[in-house]
Amino acid sequence: MERAVLEMHQITKQFPGVLALDKVDFDLYPGEVHILLGENGAGKSTLMKTLAGAHEPDSGTIVVDGREVRIRNPKQAQALGISIIYQEFTLIPYLTVAQNIFLAREPLRWGMRGLVDRDRLYADSTAILKTLGISVDPRSVVSTLGVAQQQLVEVAKALSLNARILIMDEPTATLSDQEIEQLFGIIHNLKSRGVGVIYISHRLQEVGQIGDRVTVLRDGRSVGTYNVADVDINTLIKLMVGREVMEKADRRSLPNAPEALRVSHLHRNGVLHDVNLVVREGEIVGLAGLVGSGRTELARAIFGIDPFDSGEIVLLGKRLVATNPSLSIRLGLGLLPEDRKSDGLALILPVKDNVTHASLTRLFPSFILDFRKERAIAERYVRDLRIATPNIFRQVGFLSGGNQQKVVLAKWLATQSRVLIFDEPTRGIDVGAKAEVHDFMRQLARQGVAILMISSDLPEIVSMSDRVYVMREGTIVKELEGEDINQETIIGYAMGKGEGQ
Amino acid sequence: MVAAIKRVPGIVYVLVALIMGFGWFIPGFFTVSNFLSVIRQGSVLAVVSLGATLAILSRGVNLSLGGVMSLAGVVTGVLMHRGWSIMAAILVGMATATAAGWLTGIVIAGAGIAPFVVTLGMMSVGEGLALVISGGASVPGFSNAFQVLGQGYLLRVPIPFWIAVMAFLIVHFILRDTQLGVSIYAVGGNEDAASLSGVDVRRCKLQIYLIGGILAGVAGVVLASRMNSAHPSGGMGFEFDAIAATVVGGTPMSGGRGGVVGTMVGAAIISIMRNGLNMLGLPTPWQMTIIGMIIIGSIALDALKSNR
Repeated sequence: MERAVLEMHQITKQFPGVLALDKVDFDLYPGEVHILLGENGAGKSTLMKTLAGAHEPDSGTIVVDGREVRIRNPKQAQALGISIIYQEFTLIPYLTVAQNIFLAREPLRWGMRGLVDRDRLYADSTAILKTLGISVDPRSVVSTLGVAQQQLVEVAKALSLNARILIMDEPTATLSDQEIEQLFGIIHNLKSRGVGVIYISHRLQEVGQIGDRVTVLRDGRSVGTYNVADVDINTLIKLMVGREVMEKADRRSLPNAPEALRVSHLHRNGVLHDVNLVVREGEIVGLAGLVGSGRTELARAIFGIDPFDSGEIVLLGKRLVATNPSLSIRLGLGLLPEDRKSDGLALILPVKDNVTHASLTRLFPSFILDFRKERAIAERYVRDLRIATPNIFRQVGFLSGGNQQKVVLAKWLATQSRVLIFDEPTRGIDVGAKAEVHDFMRQLARQGVAILMISSDLPEIVSMSDRVYVMREGTIVKELEGEDINQETIIGYAMGKGEGQ
Repeated sequence: MVAAIKRVPGIVYVLVALIMGFGWFIPGFFTVSNFLSVIRQGSVLAVVSLGATLAILSRGVNLSLGGVMSLAGVVTGVLMHRGWSIMAAILVGMATATAAGWLTGIVIAGAGIAPFVVTLGMMSVGEGLALVISGGASVPGFSNAFQVLGQGYLLRVPIPFWIAVMAFLIVHFILRDTQLGVSIYAVGGNEDAASLSGVDVRRCKLQIYLIGGILAGVAGVVLASRMNSAHPSGGMGFEFDAIAATVVGGTPMSGGRGGVVGTMVGAAIISIMRNGLNMLGLPTPWQMTIIGMIIIGSIALDALKSNR
């Protein structure tokens, strides 16, 4: 076999509180597509960022063309022939296609530094687009192109760098079937020219369609590299999930409890289609799915942050065809957002203000604050939720992640919400606080509160939920109950197992 | 840039309508002498506006232009009063403005502080130093040779106009034909993406404010020559008119698109507004009110357009 164009040995990267990569080995040969598979947070993006020059690994070696290299910034990565196409496009909206392809590497007029030769810029771009079979006018402004065309421009840009290692991070996430065909055609073209492609995917069926080899990452570790021909999808799913989790001991079935929240045929153009779900009083319902599957968008639509185009929501008996946060709160709905620091809390304000923020009109109908009452309420929740803070006047920004999350919870308890949506309730908080938050959630459910819990943490979904909905590409693809709630089944549906094969 | 060209026609109509409207109502508006006077006054604004546009295109803003103008004018004036040659005085005045621009750029690019804050500070520094150097009073009365710069004619057209044309052509060339120009649009369009693509964002920002300083220097010297007096607060307010010219000319505050062609039309609109309202006998406070409303109107229009 010819020499690998890229070898990564024992790559380790530590972030505060997480070991993102733990002695990962990875290699790539010219002309192959090597698929990188793993759950959210398995370390795929971090691994690729060490190649792109966005992160430097703490230890381990990277060998390109048999030479050990250190990649400190994007320029060095480019110089080594490594190009990355990020999930969020890095195109500049108001520049033309050609200007984007050659950004920071424009052909120079008369060889003079800084002077752009626009004739050659367009001629060279036309040539590159033509060899790739991409029919996009190099003079059109990028913001006027569709997503698929922008994607192809990204590919053209990467290849104009003479990339021999091309990294694509979920390139098909936003493409239609026909556009995917076109992209795969271009990838075949690249393979025949000896370019090695690292392909991060969340679609299991793509492994067989486009991959030559596949590596599975789990919790920052590589759990194996296989020839695509030698491995089936079920094995890959097992590898991704790995660990066994304790089954939920008291998974309850409450088919007769009153419905607290019903979402029917909810549709938001390009984001959500035909979403149907029910959460009953006293139930914890898990909402699983991959990042980008539309879970947070669904929560925002239900709460009334984003409008929806059609469908309806029945919240505690009230039919709503449009809503907004203040109406939702008045009716008894609370949302604990994914990003609590920016969306859930006012970090520079004290604990007491954060606790009472969402219930000011309920607590003080006369619009005049009663300091003693406010204080009593804040102190009660600090005690009940065991929020570790010296006093209720402490700025929330100084508390730990777990205690911040408890403050957000206190805020919604103070509104006496009957339905709570938790978006990633324990992300980034330590094990002890996590167990406590889980306890509070169970207690609330026992008191009859309906809980919809969005989580990317599969063990959390499996151990907490009474029922589970799996979301994929903006809609709910499966409802799971009882025995069916396990990690393999969930990830299978989340990654579209059984589709398009 | 295509977007800029598409946007220009709209405001060109506004400009034409303005000229026609004033011409209809104001006797003496359609006279050669009035037009020459508008051109002479508008040229200074045009030069400063170029600097404002560069900053705004990169999603920044430059509030220091007026203060630096005052400083450049006063330095030049004081040196001439001390018997320096015109050439040497202008050179040092320009160098002062360039240094101010360079310093602004270094702080913005190097320390990563918001341009609004840094240039707000530099506005105060420029005006403060101008007051210190001039002793708080205006520096009046220069030689005829110096006054030619702001009051003279070349081919029967005021010299400030030619200076503005030169400055425009240079900045337009930078934006269209140099890597710096592409980088400015890239940084304004998506700074992170530009950086990931290998654009040297810091150098780009430094150059933007450096060029801003140079342009403010040119404007300050021409202004002093036109007025035959360097006033320590002579440049005051120009930074805001320059921002207005940019925005009215179709470059949004969010940067990334637009260009200096529109800015020149914007500067013309504001200068003609001033001149026309003046001739109508409207007192300055009313002129300010009306021009302010036009600025808000054009920004609102831009917001509505981009939200659609």
